Amino acid sequence: MQLTVLAISLIVMAFIAAQFITAVRSAPGTVATGAERLRSRLIIGLAIVGLVVSAVSLARWPHAVAAKGVAAVVNVSGGQWYWEIDTAQVPLGLVVFNAQTADVTHGFGITDADGTILVQTQVIPGYVNRTQYTFEQPGTYRVVCLEYCGVAHHDMINEFEVAAR
Amino acid sequence: MTTTTGAMLPEAAYGPQEGAVKLTMLLGGVVFLLMMIFGLIMRAAQGGMIAVDPALFYQIMTAHGAGMVGTAGLTGAAILWYFTGRHVPLLAGVYWAFLGLFLLGVVCILAAIFLGGYAGAWTFLYPLPALSGGLWGPGASVLFLLGYVSIGVGFLLLHLEVMRRLMARYGGIGGALAWPLAFGKGRPEDAPPPAVVAAMASSVFNTLGIVVGAAVLVASIVNLLVPGFAVDALLAKNMIFFFGHVFINASIYMAVIAVYEILPEYLGKPWKTTRIFAIAWTVVLVFVLAVYPHHLLQDVPMPGWALAMGQIVSYFSGIPLIAVTAFSLIVYLRAADMRWDMAAALLVLGVAGWSVGSVPAILDGMIVVNKVMHNTQWVPGHFHIYLLLGEVAMAFGFMAWLVRRPLAADARPGAARLSGLDHGVFMAYVAGGAGFVLMFLVSGALSVPRRWAVHVPDWFLQDRLATLFAAMVIGAALIIVLRYTAVLARRAE
Repeated sequence: MQLTVLAISLIVMAFIAAQFITAVRSAPGTVATGAERLRSRLIIGLAIVGLVVSAVSLARWPHAVAAKGVAAVVNVSGGQWYWEIDTAQVPLGLVVFNAQTADVTHGFGITDADGTILVQTQVIPGYVNRTQYTFEQPGTYRVVCLEYCGVAHHDMINEFEVAAR
Repeated sequence: MTTTTGAMLPEAAYGPQEGAVKLTMLLGGVVFLLMMIFGLIMRAAQGGMIAVDPALFYQIMTAHGAGMVGTAGLTGAAILWYFTGRHVPLLAGVYWAFLGLFLLGVVCILAAIFLGGYAGAWTFLYPLPALSGGLWGPGASVLFLLGYVSIGVGFLLLHLEVMRRLMARYGGIGGALAWPLAFGKGRPEDAPPPAVVAAMASSVFNTLGIVVGAAVLVASIVNLLVPGFAVDALLAKNMIFFFGHVFINASIYMAVIAVYEILPEYLGKPWKTTRIFAIAWTVVLVFVLAVYPHHLLQDVPMPGWALAMGQIVSYFSGIPLIAVTAFSLIVYLRAADMRWDMAAALLVLGVAGWSVGSVPAILDGMIVVNKVMHNTQWVPGHFHIYLLLGEVAMAFGFMAWLVRRPLAADARPGAARLSGLDHGVFMAYVAGGAGFVLMFLVSGALSVPRRWAVHVPDWFLQDRLATLFAAMVIGAALIIVLRYTAVLARRAE
């Protein structure tokens, strides 16, 4: 998903930048006829895109945690500067993570072997912070900290294995 | 009885305060440069080009964040004050108190970081200031937070003076926000000028943000002094990010006043308060206050409606910017016979950078995207676009305008182009800035976390290229600040 987001960003950013560059380079006295009509269309168009994207992206709540069909529930505890995971091996399929912290706010993030972030949640003191991920590939996965938590924040790393069936 | 015309005060009414504003911009320019050097050091350290101990790295990171946000606010407030002073008389003593409290706050913050070892980031996320893992003591945290309180009190004074004067002249908050026009009962010719509308809106939301910030600062200070006094961490985070989000947005919205007031001199056409402009600023006022949950999209204990609101408002916040300010500027530019100089170029860049930067920010404001992009380098990627190429560009543009040469009134159409050293400096700033932020975005897309003192070799390429681009930006910014300083010194002789 990340590279798709990068591509969309760069295309839209380049389009907006091009509007400014074209305007700066346009011949003096270029009168924009129908500018207000174009502005109205732009507002309506942007609003429609926003409503559609919001509806599609929120229709299935991104933070929903399944009650059924869960392959495993894993309890994770973070502290300065460690991750404790109550199991070293989790099964393939849908896994729910309950993340808690012993001290400050941490960011519980899971990456694959290539370092690509798959899912994350903030770990707020005093709360059980729940997230889920469906593992489709066996292998080693890393847990990293994605919220600045002090001097060894970058060293707060652990691993777990996703077992083959 | 109030009047609601756009007539400006005579220069004699606001001229005497020009010196204070010029001094502020000099201080702002120097601090921007210093903070950019801190940024370069961090990127070079992440790229393995220099060795920086993680404890020092996080101190530099804290100083960079607090320094950049604070200086963006400082320069934005100076612009707000300068141009509001064209329309209503302002009390000079309030500005000096603001500047004095700001500098006192800076001293506290620098002492807390570099003498006390505080490295809890500019966001002082509760309870990190109290739980440093032995790196710094509660005294350093208290000093840091008191520095914020001092700066916040200064801003409150400034905004209250601005709002008091605008309300008296334009008929209350609604009058200064051009609500009669927005709601279809007023005429454009009776509406206050764009600078007044922007000054009122940004003063209202920044005041609300600072009041909430003061509450969480005091709670954090009490927690440090009396550890038994605990605060709900999620509530504290909401308050911190409400304050932080509003403050940095206010910086940009205050700085854009320079665009409304200065660019018409170059465009040969006034920037008027139209109905769509008035509506847009009222929408901005509401959205700036309502959108802050987009910083908490991965805080799963938050109510779902708040996160959904954060995502939706995040998207719709882009419409007033793109369809009103950016669109109007593009239309004006196409029609105008622009006489370019550094001031005009940087101010146009500021609006363009702000607009372009809203794209990756809006995408990151979607929960499904945020789930894999939050707290990666994507985040500094988007905010550096609308700060480095947005607010800071506007501030530098304002500085260049303060020391500008008179425009040649008889210049042939299109004759006055940005040329020579100006062209080189401007292009270095744009290219360096664009390259710098692109490296953040690429790293974010490759899942490189933000705020890590130590990077793995796989990430070095972007870090090192970013360091080079940062050096380009610093070189250009150095020339802009030096020229500003030299002209001020020459005129003072």
